[in-house]
Amino acid sequence: MKLSQKVKVKNILGLHARPATAIARLLQKTRSQVFFTYRGETVNARSIMSILMLAAGKNASIVITVDGEDATQTMQSLVEGFEQAFGEAAHES
Amino acid sequence: MGKNTTVLQPLLVENLFQSQGVFLKLELIAGENGLQRKIKRPEAHRPGLSLCGFLKEFEPARALVFGNVELHYLKDLSSPLRAERLAAILTEEVPFVVVAGKYRPPTELISLCKEKNIPLFITPLPTMELLGELSTHLLDAFAPSITCHGTFIEAFGVGLLIQGHSSIGKSEAALGMIDRGHRLISDDIVRLRRRKGNILEGSGPELTRHMMEIRGIGIINVAHLYGAVCVRDTKSLDVIVTLEAWSDEAFYDRMGLDERTLELLGVQVPHHVLPVKPGRDVALLLETIVLNFRLKLMGYHSAKEFNAKLLETISEKVRKKRR
Repeated sequence: MKLSQKVKVKNILGLHARPATAIARLLQKTRSQVFFTYRGETVNARSIMSILMLAAGKNASIVITVDGEDATQTMQSLVEGFEQAFGEAAHES
Repeated sequence: MGKNTTVLQPLLVENLFQSQGVFLKLELIAGENGLQRKIKRPEAHRPGLSLCGFLKEFEPARALVFGNVELHYLKDLSSPLRAERLAAILTEEVPFVVVAGKYRPPTELISLCKEKNIPLFITPLPTMELLGELSTHLLDAFAPSITCHGTFIEAFGVGLLIQGHSSIGKSEAALGMIDRGHRLISDDIVRLRRRKGNILEGSGPELTRHMMEIRGIGIINVAHLYGAVCVRDTKSLDVIVTLEAWSDEAFYDRMGLDERTLELLGVQVPHHVLPVKPGRDVALLLETIVLNFRLKLMGYHSAKEFNAKLLETISEKVRKKRR
């Protein structure tokens, strides 16, 4: 099954090293192929370097594409992760 | 393996000016507000006939280059006619105009460029030289490109792209290669462009250049760890190796008689599938693939030569038997 959804980066510092690590950790439990598309560039979301290369800032909108057996769960946990800023501060205090 | 995407980033006049301005000795004299114009076609055009009023087949989205002939022709026209002819070719879509060969642009051209916000440059370069350089650069900027997942290294002068699923050991294999004195171009993400002569050129994104991610260690800077000799920015792609988890059911190439290729941007690139399992020295195997590729380039094909020798031996035996 192939799913596609747009999400917004909520982390103040954007998708930097820590959220990228969190994404890698989250995806380790999944089996689907996962891609992020940002500014016309599509990268493999399992690769930390690729996520970092996007240099996506706060409020950047990223299209997640998930393809595989566990697509629904993978997408759900990714969307939740983005929603919760991967456990980081989402708003300036 | 991996998803390939065409990257289409518009080329602005400003980008061209920044990257080639010094080399082409461009000086901006009017229309600076139009620097954000997009260059839509990789072509530069000498208006020649169009200036005489012949506008059939005129392609409005090309950059215009005025040379000696155009300027002398314009000089012979009356001022209103000059303005009229220029206005006809300076359409909304013209990205920029260059006057080559140390000439002073006619006042009508300057005022039209100002009015329409079309950047107007002058350069002391001769027209033909400018056209040549400009076309080369534009064609290059418009070269089809893709981004793909994989690690790109140079070994013995051969550009080797290592592909395979995440965590199969691409980066580790590349690290092994770097340790043996080969060079890293990019880890995990490679941008490939098809250049003139069907050559694929690979490079890495600037942000992650010289960086590698090794599981259990983290992000390392190869240029700092191994020195500048172990990295390079671009390289032509010659061979692709896909690393695969060893499967007892799969049948791997045992002879190497058939050449397998993978198509990228319409170019056929030699391709090997390399099964990995504990105990296989991947860096050594990659080096062997590269050396074998070099031998083939030199006209020596190990598998074919061996087979030829074998066939000869067999036929000799048959001949002896008949005697």
